[in-house]
Amino acid sequence: MKIVVCVKQVPATHDAKIDPETKRIIREGQKAILNPFDTYAVEEGVLLKERFGGEVIILCMGPEKAHESIREAISGGADRGILLSDRAFGGSDTWATSYALAKAIAKIGDVDLVICGKQAIDGDTAQVGPGIAAHLGWLQATYVMKVEDVTAESIRVRRMHEDGYDICELPLPAVLTVVKDINSPRIPSLRGRMAANKAEIPIWKPADIGAELDRIGLNGSPTRVVRTQPPPARHTISKRIVGTSEECARELVRELRLRSIL
Amino acid sequence: MLHHIQNKVYHVEILPPKQDSEKLEADLELFATKYARVMESGYCACITDNAMGHLAFQGSELIQELDLPVDPEKVMIHLNTFHTKEDLHTILDFCRDKGIRYLLVISGDGSERLPKLQPSDIGAVGVESVTSVELLRYIGRAYPGVFVMGVAFNPYEPEEHEFEKMERKIAAGATFIITQPLIEKNAVVDRLLAKYPEMPVIIEAWMSKKISLLSEAVGYEIPENTEFDPIETLKMLHRLYPTCGVYLSLLGFKTQYHLIADTWT
Repeated sequence: MKIVVCVKQVPATHDAKIDPETKRIIREGQKAILNPFDTYAVEEGVLLKERFGGEVIILCMGPEKAHESIREAISGGADRGILLSDRAFGGSDTWATSYALAKAIAKIGDVDLVICGKQAIDGDTAQVGPGIAAHLGWLQATYVMKVEDVTAESIRVRRMHEDGYDICELPLPAVLTVVKDINSPRIPSLRGRMAANKAEIPIWKPADIGAELDRIGLNGSPTRVVRTQPPPARHTISKRIVGTSEECARELVRELRLRSIL
Repeated sequence: MLHHIQNKVYHVEILPPKQDSEKLEADLELFATKYARVMESGYCACITDNAMGHLAFQGSELIQELDLPVDPEKVMIHLNTFHTKEDLHTILDFCRDKGIRYLLVISGDGSERLPKLQPSDIGAVGVESVTSVELLRYIGRAYPGVFVMGVAFNPYEPEEHEFEKMERKIAAGATFIITQPLIEKNAVVDRLLAKYPEMPVIIEAWMSKKISLLSEAVGYEIPENTEFDPIETLKMLHRLYPTCGVYLSLLGFKTQYHLIADTWT
């Protein structure tokens, strides 16, 4: 199988800041990490490769420093990585981003499966995976919690939803977005880290993937952020319970039941 | 292990590079340098396993990837219960093939990112989780006669509970003991020595000047500005515990290493 895993480098959560003028996340000078949901996508790609053979290619769009996240993914068992990086990609919304990623996937060629994390923790839109499927014209399954089986022609997965799960069978090639229940990402080995450090990561520009310039960057992004605001503060109740251990435990259980938590 | 004590072989802890190291190459070089220095000195290099729950590379993979020489008498690998069964066997198979005999088997601190051995993985019945006892028993079964296994002793834990655990560890196959750091005479360790006079006991000497970092281990607050002389304390520990070996944790290779040669006389 030729598997492409799309990843994103995101600001470390506690560092995220919004530019008040552009309403966009300020990335310069911020500590960046591999989007945590994407680590599950990488692991699933590697697990499928281990089961069925083939290759896992990491694809990322972002500034040049995003190669760090690609290397992290390679250290987890992926074979190679490609970075889409150019000023022309800057300001892309989820539609323009998924267009660019789809063009890169088409250029890679003969891809059987694309896997994405369910969403990025900065934008929280969960739109890029479905956007890639739309641009490629492939079927997709979102919120995948388990890959049940893969054949040469199809893949059967469990999709998680609030009341249970669906079992879906999709013809290949297809796009999956995965939730964190799907696996436990492995700890990179030293060999993996060393290989990742040495890996050559080609940078593809818009011309390399045949992207039309009016479909990427700000020009290609229909999304307009009108206003941003922090979420309302959570209302918390604090209550100190005193007494013996048994009394405290009894009172704690009573309080939790009172609030329908137990 | 007794011959280590008789021959005054220090056990020198070496911390492996952390998983999130931003200067991995330099850290690996430093690790290899420290390892070589311990080998040259005739001491025993003790490589930790995700100490304090900080994700770090495994001792076995460091030796493998850096192609470090192994003298079976000079290397000890720490092994905790936070591994998959597959990883556990990868480590143990490597150690066996390389001739690494000494293992310090501990329960470990864990981390949310680390997997944990499950009782069913190692055929442990009647327990809810895997501790060093189950791991010792399993290694003894799966690799009979291959490893010399030691265990940790914590004199700062509730005493009777710790002794009861030690009984089970010894019954499971432990043949030497390494204590938590001592900075003075300790009545619980005295009791340990009296109870197991034949068992090689290695006491841990805290070699960092930052003695306040020990607060968590000893269970009481040591003020940050407390004066502490690790070398003098080490000498004192030799006087107090002449029948014991010594494990040096957080040893300063630049500032202290050259001083320790004359401390065990």
